Amino acid sequence: MHPQPAHSWFSARRVAALAHNTLLELIRLKVFYFLLLFALLVIGSSIFTVNFSFQNPLQVLKDIGLGAMSIFSWLLGLLCTAGLLPKDKEDRTLYTILAKPVSRFEYLLGKLSGVFLLLVIAVALMSVVFAGVLGLREQQEIASVMQSSPPDRLAADIAAVRAAAFQANLIPGILLILLKALLCSTLTLLLSTLASSTVFTLLTSVVIYLIGHVQGIAREAWMSGADSTAALRVLAGFVALVFPDLQLFNVVDEIAVGTALPALLFWQTTGFGVLYIAVYFLLAQVFFSAREI
Amino acid sequence: MQTPAISILNLFKEFPVPFKREPLRAVQGVSLDVQPGEVYGLLGPNGSGKSTTMKIVLGLVRPTAGSSSVFGIDSRLVQSRENVGFLPENPYFYKFLTGLETLLFFGKLCGLSGKSLRERSMDMLERVGLSDAADRRLSGFSKGMLQRIGLAQALIGNPRLLVLDEPTAGVDPAGSHAIRELILEFKRQGLTVLLCSHLLEQVQEVCDRVGILHQGRLVAEGRVEDLVSQRNQTELVLENASPELLAELQRLSLSSGARVIDKRHPRTNLERFFLEATQQAP
Repeated sequence: MHPQPAHSWFSARRVAALAHNTLLELIRLKVFYFLLLFALLVIGSSIFTVNFSFQNPLQVLKDIGLGAMSIFSWLLGLLCTAGLLPKDKEDRTLYTILAKPVSRFEYLLGKLSGVFLLLVIAVALMSVVFAGVLGLREQQEIASVMQSSPPDRLAADIAAVRAAAFQANLIPGILLILLKALLCSTLTLLLSTLASSTVFTLLTSVVIYLIGHVQGIAREAWMSGADSTAALRVLAGFVALVFPDLQLFNVVDEIAVGTALPALLFWQTTGFGVLYIAVYFLLAQVFFSAREI
Repeated sequence: MQTPAISILNLFKEFPVPFKREPLRAVQGVSLDVQPGEVYGLLGPNGSGKSTTMKIVLGLVRPTAGSSSVFGIDSRLVQSRENVGFLPENPYFYKFLTGLETLLFFGKLCGLSGKSLRERSMDMLERVGLSDAADRRLSGFSKGMLQRIGLAQALIGNPRLLVLDEPTAGVDPAGSHAIRELILEFKRQGLTVLLCSHLLEQVQEVCDRVGILHQGRLVAEGRVEDLVSQRNQTELVLENASPELLAELQRLSLSSGARVIDKRHPRTNLERFFLEATQQAP
């Protein structure tokens, strides 16, 4: 018999093994095929904006690309996370894993980390496709400007095209899109520790996603209206606390027109997202630990 | 005195039943010890509390009352699983992994890494006869192969206690025989085994002691020989005995006050006959 090392309550190696396995599972389930839809949408939009748009085509392309990236990353996280725990329980792999010296905290963290890794890869791939398509359109626009612009305005017109194309100011926006997807995935994981069916988890997560997008507007209306009652204010406060204000992550409109995201706003939103992820994960751990498996 | 491999003391487990005031009492006051190096069979009909007891030992389910420990460590603590290997009934592993990847994954969870993990995984594959299937995905494994990879993952962390839940369920006689031989090998190596099975004949062959659960209670426990032997009867097996000798033995028995209850040719069991027939077939 080999002597056993003393057990540590937390092992990054065990979490990494679980995260790697979850990532491998999702990759081998061919979830990345889902991203082909994104690529088709962006490429299709690029062609569409050439022929039909009356606005700056690069701006329209950025609007569509960033919006699609936001929807696709959220949807990917939602679909991948909702089935993680129920599937392991149904297949009884959960028993085999937790019968090893693995705590429920490590298990949950490993699973969520696997989804996070997938989302990071997915958003990186989408960004590459997006930047590639945008770059091609930029070249086409420059070629067109070189043919049509008078010599005295040529440099200014080319600079205008370049400013409307892929700029570094898009990166903080893309990072916030990723953070929103990570936050929604953690929320879905929390719901799956409470729910007994995947369909319920999916539906509830979608409803909360919608609430998260409108709650800011609703809160403002409830709080500032003349007929605002104390009960309404308490309700608005409760909704604001439990459900994250996802509208905060929607910076697509600003950055698509070339406005740089203020650093303070970026870090505030990041802090807000990380805090919600931590709270949701800890709640998921509390419910998962208390649950009979 | 040695610390028992498993110590269960006055264990109770109740599950709430929706819309009913009375909970389901799955385990009711079970106490038992399994000594190191022992092969212990936990028997009982469906719903008798075997699986719940086993899950409590593994720390997968919390007891309502009472305690369970593995080598002196409370089963509720993660470190109690450092010394345990578990093969669940009808094991389903990640089908997208190959045989080797499965063992590498479970080995990492047991704290192994690098070259030693790879070597141990290859050793385990060889031990359960799956070296050729190292690079095949589990989705293409037969039931018997899945059971064997299950045994390999249970052994990967070099455990002192093996918990096997119906290890031969759904496996053909040859596979079942191979698994039984492995259990006997574990016994020779001094591993402690907790075996849950419906196949009483198999339990009888490999277990030192058995406990029988019924409706959540331990209704019988003891050494297999003590439980099954009929102490007032004696078996005498003769080879090439003539009819005259048999008649003489019968006469002597009667004259000494004994009674011959049965006289027949010893039979091989059907499993042994099946194995001989399939091994001899071209």
